[in-house]
Amino acid sequence: MTRGEVQRSEEELLARARNGDREAFGDLVGRYQDTVYTLALRLVGPDLAADVAQEALLRAWRALPRFRGEAAFATWLHRITVNTAWTLRKRALRHAAEPLEGDIEDRGVLPERAGELAEVRAGLRRALAALTPGQRAVVVLRDVYGWSNAETARELGITEITAKVRLHRARLRLRVLLEGAR
Amino acid sequence: MSGPLCLLARLIPGSRPAVLAAHRGKCLRCRGEAARDAGLRADLAALAGDLAAAPAGLRQQVLASLGEQDAADPRRHLVAAMTARYAAVAGVAVAALLALAAGLARRHSRALG
Repeated sequence: MTRGEVQRSEEELLARARNGDREAFGDLVGRYQDTVYTLALRLVGPDLAADVAQEALLRAWRALPRFRGEAAFATWLHRITVNTAWTLRKRALRHAAEPLEGDIEDRGVLPERAGELAEVRAGLRRALAALTPGQRAVVVLRDVYGWSNAETARELGITEITAKVRLHRARLRLRVLLEGAR
Repeated sequence: MSGPLCLLARLIPGSRPAVLAAHRGKCLRCRGEAARDAGLRADLAALAGDLAAAPAGLRQQVLASLGEQDAADPRRHLVAAMTARYAAVAGVAVAALLALAAGLARRHSRALG
């Protein structure tokens, strides 16, 4: 299937799901459940990630008639996942010190560099897990997913200044943690 | 060179204001920090391609729990929390202003009486 065909088929699925077709939504869930779950895992850790992913996908279903395609479906879904994770952050805070990602796998890395990169990434994941939930959310959205400061602040319900300060502190803390681990 | 200017230069990236851009260009500390940040950002960006497999059964659970589509705003929880927070801050500010005004009025009436 070509990229154009994949896109067309996604548009068809979206159109059907917007009109209440549960089977079409099931296909979309199958396509995006890993990315939604991974984002949830990064934001709130393993204990809550499955709940956040499930709730986010349910909210997406309810809200689907509102989706007009101004942003890509994946982006829209990510925003809902961030909102869901953030509104459940009180539960997430209780698990702040737990490891974030036990089984995230790297897709598409050359075998000869896999060991080295796996080590760097494992260190990063441990360091991310040591941040406060607020710092972690900002640094994940800005530096892992490439969101803007404005977008990050809006979806987390904080001011842009707060987002920048948290990002600054998070990067400093990450560097200290990573340098300490070497 | 370090201090408030270094901190501002890190918090406000970009070419404006010019004083911060100029500082960033000549301050060795800022240049070192920027290089270290760039390395960290590159490592973090590389995580974007990693994926965790969703728990088995997530799709089935979601499909089994689907209710009616009501076009509800998925941000409504966040918006409600933000509204409550802003209302609380506004309430505290109004109460503080009223207390200040009452104190000033009392002092004024004592001075007159």
